[in-house]
Formats: sequence, structure tokens, C-alpha cells
Amino acid sequence: MLSISNFSNTILTNINFHLKENENLIILGSNGAGKSTLAKVLCGITNSDSVELFSKELHNLNAASRAELINYIPPKLEIFDEYISLREFLELSRLYSKFSICDVLELLDLTKLQNKPCINLSSGEQQLTMLASSILHNAKLTIFDEPTANLDPQKTLKVSKILRSEKIQNRIIITHDLNLAHKLGYKILYILDGKIEFFDENDKFFEDSNLDKFFGSSLKRIDEYFVVNL
Amino acid sequence: MKYLFIILSIILLLIAPFSGQIDINLSKIDELTSIDYKIFWDLRLPRVVVAFFTGALLGLSGLIFQSLFRNPMSTPFTLGVASGATLGTAFAIVFSLVSLIAVFGFLGALLTIIILFGITSRLKAFETSTLLLVGIALSFFYSAALMILFYISDETQSYEIVRFTMGSLDVVGFSSTLPIVIVSILLLLLTLRYKKEIKLLLTSYDNAFLKGVEVKKINTILLISVSIAIGIAVSITGPIGFVGLIVPHILKTIYKKSADRLLLPTFFYAGIFLVLCDLISRNLGTTSDVPIGVVTSFLGGPFFIYLLVGRKRV
Repeated sequence: MLSISNFSNTILTNINFHLKENENLIILGSNGAGKSTLAKVLCGITNSDSVELFSKELHNLNAASRAELINYIPPKLEIFDEYISLREFLELSRLYSKFSICDVLELLDLTKLQNKPCINLSSGEQQLTMLASSILHNAKLTIFDEPTANLDPQKTLKVSKILRSEKIQNRIIITHDLNLAHKLGYKILYILDGKIEFFDENDKFFEDSNLDKFFGSSLKRIDEYFVVNL
Repeated sequence: MKYLFIILSIILLLIAPFSGQIDINLSKIDELTSIDYKIFWDLRLPRVVVAFFTGALLGLSGLIFQSLFRNPMSTPFTLGVASGATLGTAFAIVFSLVSLIAVFGFLGALLTIIILFGITSRLKAFETSTLLLVGIALSFFYSAALMILFYISDETQSYEIVRFTMGSLDVVGFSSTLPIVIVSILLLLLTLRYKKEIKLLLTSYDNAFLKGVEVKKINTILLISVSIAIGIAVSITGPIGFVGLIVPHILKTIYKKSADRLLLPTFFYAGIFLVLCDLISRNLGTTSDVPIGVVTSFLGGPFFIYLLVGRKRV
């Protein structure tokens, strides 16, 4: 489904990995490790000739077919246009989905906000807006960059359910939330200083030896949950 | 409110051809041999048509440049395209190539576009801010070249150059209005065709890219089309400033909508604005018409500042 071979730049070093058909992924790593940089390479925003998507070379795809295959949802909504409303933004995002804009607004409790300019939404609301746009875009593979970073517990639960659902085709999720990473159960890729330190099955990552290696005393395991050892 | 403005605008369009320094005898405008017929059909009506479509073209060009450069100050005029056309025209005047004035004006604009895109294609990325800086540098260079032309020209020629740089909507007959009408309508159709792409580019470049927009290609198509349209317009009417800068701004503050929804209103109201300015310039009672560029700047400048100050208070 996705492969990247021998990619290096100023932040990342010798990145190689391969995802099989219908294999989802979670990317973990400390701040500044290169997670978002990797995501931008995978979706083509950073140009390279190292990425292959669904057996096609990414840099040779035209814009429309690339948009059908891959989408990237950044951690923050960046919008220059000060007047564009939430609904207009979603109208622009609706590419390959069978869902209507109303369905998705309803699903994420955004209906009341639909005529509000995007730049006036709170950071949590903007996060939900981007999730809504990813459902409407419906690319074959979507990369979510910290999709739950600005959400309250109820919204986090709701979003994690949607992320697991069939409303998203294939997904790569970048997160700092180890509980989310554990519950989703996908393969895990851990980046440290621009290098891949771990790439294997979910349960292997959550073995005590690995947790100790990557997080040390900052993390405490309580039954099946992971908490920051404040 | 919206309809009131449309009705007022249409009334303005209807009365514009009938008013001017010479009163027309309405009963005679369908008599082929009368002087009233000639004034109305060969001078007044073509002039209103040219004013409307030139204004529309300048407004729309301003809106597109402001959107693509994401800079409220950027219009084809700040990019040096209009200065290039002016210089070309002045060149034709000084070297007595009077029959080729329009051609030289257009060549001046075209040369500027070629220089601009020649330079930017050497740069790594399509950086709109670099293009803008190059445009500003070119404008200064052209002003200096224009000064040299002034220096070597005689008195009549200098007067002609000055008159041209202030803009003029003088046309005779409908055939001379055709280039402006065709170019402005083509530009409107082109921008309407790309309105979704324009709106996506205004969200963020990354977002437009991810949604399948060929960012560089669309930018280039729109910038080159606008530059060519401006070249043609300036070679006919001279540089008429301020319309492209202020009309999109005023409409943005009133409509509070994204650029894609302002394409048609800008086209219409920029046209109306220039018809109004022209109407004023023809009816001030001076011996010759006050140059149109003077009126647009006189009206537009203070009103624009008023809008900016008013917006800050809110």
C-alpha cells in the first residue's frame, strides 16, 4: 500500500518502511523527532522520489489522482482566508465521499457552527472541522497529525471511535497519546532524532522493556492504561 | 440594500451616456445625419462601454492579484505591468511612431511579463513575494527611463506623455471598444472557471495541494492571463490607478465573503465605479475633461483611508 525507501533530508535519516494492503499505522516519537516531517514527505507536500503509494510512484502522479490516494490532516488548521465559513471549507473538501456535508456536520456536532468563519472557531472545533474534512475527502490513505491534541475527554472518545470506523479508509495516525495508540492496536513506528527506532506490531511496542527504553520514568503503567508520572 | 445598489447602478449606467458638456437633443439621436446622433452613438455610448469594461477588468485583476499574492497592496500596477505599458507608449510618442502607440504600449506590458516570469522561473520555488519585489524594482526602473524620455522629448510630446499617464477613456465608435470588452469578458470567464481553485489557494497552499490543485500551474495561468489583459487595457486607456486596489477592498469589507464570491460583484461594481468617475470628470465644467486617473485617485484615496480607519475601530 505504501512504501518509502532510503529517504534522508536535514531532519530524517535513511527512512525505510513498507505497509501492506489495509495495514494501518501509528507513528510515535518525541517533539521534534521528525514525525510531521515524515508525514509531509509521505503525502508529497515535501517533494521526493522515494515514496510509492498503491504501487504508483508518488512524484509521478498528477494532482487529482494523488488527492484520491492520499490526504494529510495537519495538527493545526491553517487558513489565510478570513471569511471562509466552516461549511464552505467542507464543501471544498468533499471529493470522494458518499456522505453529505450535513451528515458529517451532524456526526461531529458541528451543525450549529456551520456558518461561522473557520478562523473564529476554537482550536478543538478546528480539529473537528479537519476530521470532518478528511471524512469528506475520503482519500484511500489519510495521515492524521495529532488528531486528538486539542480535544476534551468526550470529544477524544468520539474522535477515536471515528478514527477506528469505516468512515476512514486506511489511516496513519501521529500521536502522543499512548492510550489511543494502544487501544487502536495498529502497527507502531517510533521515531527518535529522525531515525526509525522501532517498527513492529502494537503489543511488542508496549512490552515493559520498550516502554522503559523510550519513555523511562516519565511513564507509568496502571493495568492497561498509561499515565504520565507527574 | 443589495438590490438598492444594483438599481442605483443600473440607473447610473442609463443616464451616463446622456450627460456631458454638450446637451443632446433626445429627439434627434435616431437621425443619422444629426450632430446629436454622432455625439451619442460615436462618442458617449462607446465611452460608457469602455469605462465600464475597463473598470471591470481593473477591479477583477486587482482582486485576483490580491488573492494570489495574499497581499492587499498587490495589483498589476504594483507589479510594474502598467508602468511597462506606459513606458512603451511614451517611447512611441517620443520617436514619432504615433500610429503604433497601442502596439508599443502592449509590447511594454508584455516585455514586463516576460521579465517577471523569466526571473521567477530561475528561482527555486514559485515565490509570490519575490515576484512582487521584482515588480516594484521594475516600476522604479521604468520611472527613471520615463524621465529620460521626458528629457529628450519636445513640449508637445511631453504633454502627450503626461496626458497618457493620467489615463483617458476617449474612444470614437464602437469598433474601438471591442478589444476591452472581449478581454474583460474572457478574463471574467477564466476566473469563474477557476473559482474553486482560487478559493482553495486562499485556505492554504498545502490544503490546495492536498485537494488536488496544481498550485504552480493555476498560479501561472491566472497571473499571465491577468498581465496580458492589463497590457491590452493600459495600451488603450493609459494607466488608471486605484480601481484595482480599492474596489475589491471595499467589496470585501461590505460583503465579508471569500474571493470566489466577489468575482462577479467586483466585475460589476468596479465597472460602475469607473463609469461614475468618468461621469464626474466629464461634468466638472472645466474646458477639457479632467483626466480619469485624477478623479479615481481623488475619490478613491480618501475613501479608502476612511474605510481602513473605520475597520480598525471595530
